[in-house]
Amino acid sequence: MLDAVRVLDLTGEPGFLAGKILGDLGADVLKLEPPGGDPDRRGPFLGDVADPERSLAWLALNTSKRGITLDIASEAGRGLLERLLAGTDVLLDSFPPDRGDALGLGWERLHAAFPGLILARITPFGADGPHATYRGRDLVAVAMGGNLALTGDPDRPPVRCSLPTAYHHAAPEAALGIVMALHHREATGRGQRVDVSLQECQLQTLLGGVAVAAASGRKPRRAGARIGSTREIWACKDGWVSFGLRGGAARIPNLVATVEWMTECGAAPVWLRDTDWREFDPRRLAPAEVAAFEEAFGSFFRTRTMRELYEEALARRILLAPCNDAREILEHRQLRAREHFVRVEQPRLGACLEHPDSFARTEDRAVRVRRPAPGIGEHNAEVYGALGVGEAELARLREAGVV
Amino acid sequence: MPLFEDTKILELGAGAAGPLATRYFAEHGARVIRIESARRPDFLRALFRAPAEAGGLDASPMFVALNADKQSVRLDLSRPEARALARRLVDWADVVLENFAPGVMARWQLDWETLREARPDLVMVSGCLFGQTGPQRGYPGFGGQGSAIAGFNHLTGWPDREAHGPYGTITDSLSPRYVALAIAAALLERRRTGRGRFVDVSQIECGVYSLSEMIVRESAGAESPTRCGNRDPVAAPHGVFPVRGEDRWVAIAVFDDRQWEALVVAMGSPEWARAPHLAALAERRSHQDELEARLAAWTRGQDGPELMRRLQAAGVEAGLVQDVEDLERDPQLAHRGHFVRAPHPHLGEVPLERCGFRLSACPGEVRRPGPDLGADDEAVLGGILGLSAEEIDGLREAGVVA
Repeated sequence: MLDAVRVLDLTGEPGFLAGKILGDLGADVLKLEPPGGDPDRRGPFLGDVADPERSLAWLALNTSKRGITLDIASEAGRGLLERLLAGTDVLLDSFPPDRGDALGLGWERLHAAFPGLILARITPFGADGPHATYRGRDLVAVAMGGNLALTGDPDRPPVRCSLPTAYHHAAPEAALGIVMALHHREATGRGQRVDVSLQECQLQTLLGGVAVAAASGRKPRRAGARIGSTREIWACKDGWVSFGLRGGAARIPNLVATVEWMTECGAAPVWLRDTDWREFDPRRLAPAEVAAFEEAFGSFFRTRTMRELYEEALARRILLAPCNDAREILEHRQLRAREHFVRVEQPRLGACLEHPDSFARTEDRAVRVRRPAPGIGEHNAEVYGALGVGEAELARLREAGVV
Repeated sequence: MPLFEDTKILELGAGAAGPLATRYFAEHGARVIRIESARRPDFLRALFRAPAEAGGLDASPMFVALNADKQSVRLDLSRPEARALARRLVDWADVVLENFAPGVMARWQLDWETLREARPDLVMVSGCLFGQTGPQRGYPGFGGQGSAIAGFNHLTGWPDREAHGPYGTITDSLSPRYVALAIAAALLERRRTGRGRFVDVSQIECGVYSLSEMIVRESAGAESPTRCGNRDPVAAPHGVFPVRGEDRWVAIAVFDDRQWEALVVAMGSPEWARAPHLAALAERRSHQDELEARLAAWTRGQDGPELMRRLQAAGVEAGLVQDVEDLERDPQLAHRGHFVRAPHPHLGEVPLERCGFRLSACPGEVRRPGPDLGADDEAVLGGILGLSAEEIDGLREAGVVA
């Protein structure tokens, strides 16, 4: 859908996924790294060999891009960067505002030199304001954005997701801002700045929580495996499942179906079978009553595996789901049936890895992984050649450490 | 002129994930009309609010926050007359977004297969939990299930405790961004080719796609990520530390030895921090229990905001773990105009929110809280479809506009 859009991707890890999204949508994305490779080519590594070419995070998050190296802080590098920018529609980076300016990539200068260029910059707090120069990656962004305080057990410190959700939220948001700017450019020919704040992207995870708190006086609290007063995450024989012990028209039939199943298995106490579910609302129950319900459901779940519980939940329309690990996701029947995973050959590395193929299905597979992530400088000759840089000049630049 | 001033979006669905997607366009000038019904109201309209309370279905703060700047028309789509009117609104629209269970739109003859011939230029996006195809497409889940299936729960929490996932059912806040992106990209393509298209977005697949690193690592047979508190494989210290007040914390992340040196100096170079076994990152990573305990002893009792400012000034990544009240007072968010305080007849002033990015040439704006149910019956049925006041009254009495 973004065919013919040329993107120059100078991001570090906070923006890898944003560039990948544009590439998977069909844009021609050029990933520029410092000579020697991006410092965010981190472990773990393919085959457990500590080599930046084998960084699995890199391979996962930079598909559908071509790769070049350039020392943009050097004079010769700056000259080449200008030539690259002349043929670029979108510059995507994650430089802190002051660093962007120091590299000659401040918005005012870029806009004057390349009036049609779109500059999308992902920063912790946005391009301006009292915290604009504050540093932070995922942890600081989820802390300042309000999600961290509410995640985790009440008797322990707040806790984050082990993979960077701040970047997960900001990446499609940045891509959306870029496509909106492309609309404007189609209409006017003018570029603009897309100023993405990791912190502001985080606030949407509260789903209007600030408005709810302001209007109702209800301040949410960290509740771990619970939502409100009832359990949401339950132990089973081999892991954990999500199952809401909550009332409401959409949820009560699933509680009834669960109790029916337990009854068939001889696992429902008489009082549970005799419960009148029509008006069931755990918020109106005493803590001891809630505990009795939780013990009844919980002791049943503990006798079954995640898979057994999920299969039966599907058959009986019970709102229960397994807390999948990576292997279980890869084997998930629905995802397999939809061919959500695609095997991508890594010819340079002699490997073939499975990737999620797409975030959006169309009948012509318009959104898909188009090529494996590039090796360090893999497309230098091709890209610089197209700029008119001959082999001899490229060799000189390589010698000088510019590429 | 706002960027999407000429763009018309019809929205059918409920909850958070669908409606959040169109908010980006409302913020940038599009006219977004929700088809709703009092016969089967959006459950969001009843959240945090009993229908019997003043304002009833019009006064859920969550609904009005997530549906800012949209319009609402009532149509009971179980009625054929209502479906015929909805079909006419499709002809008016550039974009149809729906997030019902798969099959519902087909039952109403409002699905892509039915519409594509008459409206080849229509952009239509469906955004349900599991997608439109596959054996489990009818699975009736909520965001809580989506987060668990996609892997976020496995990745969030403490190794010795439940796999509980980030607060707020992450697929509900993550997938709308992808739905909005699909709409924007399809509209851009239509601008160039004149053709519309249908896009099938699965909330769970958006989550799995975001976690590509987890999938690729597993597929490579490498160490698979799992929940590990706040620690990070390439940083130490990396965690949250107590400060003055009840349940108050500051996040501190040190990714290299230069940042560690800055932190040590900021702490006044205590003897423990100068110990040789803490000087290098790899060494600090293998002494994290000690490191975290020492650092917590130093932060405890300090003023959180002041500590954050001091560490940031020293070049250390640090941030207050902000609660919802902190967010409302956050000077950075205030500077960015993130919250727009708008009056609501039943809720007083509601802090509505901007999205996560700003466009310099077409900044957009957030103006009004989400609409009362049926607030725009006349504007939509009369103004767009040309029905007379008598006809609209008749449809109301007949229970079609209900």
